[in-house]
Amino acid sequence: MAGKAGHFVTDHASLLKACADGDKSALQQLMLAEGGRMLGVARRMLRRADLAEDALQESLVLIWRKAHQFDETRGSAKGWVYAILRNRCLTMLRREDREVPVSPGTLGEVLDDTTHQTILDEAFERLGTTSDLRQCLQSLEPGTRRAILSSYVLGYSHGEIAGHLGAPLGSVKSWVRRGLLKLRECLS
Amino acid sequence: MTDRSLDLLIDEVVLGLAGDADIARLEELARQDPDVAARLDQARQRFGALDDTADVLSLPDGLWARVEARLDAPEQHVPQAKAAPDNLIDLDTLRQSVGRWRRAALGGLAAAMLLAVVLGWSVLSQPGPVVVAVLLDDRGEAIALVESGRDNTTQITLLERPDMPSNQVMQVWTKPDDDGPPVSLGLLSTGRSDTLTIEGLPTPSPRQLYEITLEPAGGSPTNLPTGPIFGKGLAKAPVT
Repeated sequence: MAGKAGHFVTDHASLLKACADGDKSALQQLMLAEGGRMLGVARRMLRRADLAEDALQESLVLIWRKAHQFDETRGSAKGWVYAILRNRCLTMLRREDREVPVSPGTLGEVLDDTTHQTILDEAFERLGTTSDLRQCLQSLEPGTRRAILSSYVLGYSHGEIAGHLGAPLGSVKSWVRRGLLKLRECLS
Repeated sequence: MTDRSLDLLIDEVVLGLAGDADIARLEELARQDPDVAARLDQARQRFGALDDTADVLSLPDGLWARVEARLDAPEQHVPQAKAAPDNLIDLDTLRQSVGRWRRAALGGLAAAMLLAVVLGWSVLSQPGPVVVAVLLDDRGEAIALVESGRDNTTQITLLERPDMPSNQVMQVWTKPDDDGPPVSLGLLSTGRSDTLTIEGLPTPSPRQLYEITLEPAGGSPTNLPTGPIFGKGLAKAPVT
């Protein structure tokens, strides 16, 4: 369903404007065009199909309710849509309050290290070889790259990253910061 | 804030590493400053390349029907995230969805009963307004009707929709004391007619000023009117 819609170029901004005007078919179009990918993003973060579906459903309702706040002059429509989805997923993840380091295996859905690494590698490999983000991530220390990818792709908090890497929370925080500044320097 | 710390704040929010307070702070900054908004958007797009690496999954059956059913419903709290499963029996999912439907049905029933009680109460017992004001814009057009009760419960019926950007909100003011400062009665945050309540003000009197101004999202930062006046008018007591 989502694949079929992918053949068309979707004008997300017009669809959001139509949503703001109360056009439900615009939201449906957005769901058909972007929902499959959104579900994939949510699934990667939440790790459970049922939670990912809940997150997608909630996000679509939120997009509908907030569509009037979207301002085309302030940023891309696709970025806006994914920001809503990601916030929703993060809220669901953070409810369990995981600012303390989590040792792998204590929670049912914590990924074992291999799966974790496979998902991150896959995300990294799928970035186009010419992508600036890929080239700049490549230039980071492997541990820093892994930390940054874990937070974006898997929704890990500082605490969870620390748990996975077996490093103190404080060093992980400053480490991620240094990585982010380096990444920016490289990207600009 | 230095450029460097703003950059870090933006990156940490986009990555999902920032706390609620930082997220709120950045959103407010972006609302006020198009430059910050542009930088936030740029960071989102940079990392957004990673969203495109996720699998495209097929949408669950009936998703649209479930979404559509909620579009007209009044805003409700999003359901709490479920706890991690303690077993992996498929029945569990089924039970959860049955539970969800049951909760929705009971919730709907409760809402209907509450509405009946509230409506009945307000029809039967609501005393009439002690003052009424018609607010006019600068061209003399009526833009809103204000009716206030003895306890300053104020019903605002909009007669015009203001032409305002989405980052602004209508704020309602009154001057209980002719020589005193205007006091905020509240925001019309939905952009529609609404009833506002406030405590601690004297019973409104005839000739009392009411006005609606357009303020930044969240309301006037100074707690006094700062934005353009949408409309204003003096109250009168209805003839009874």
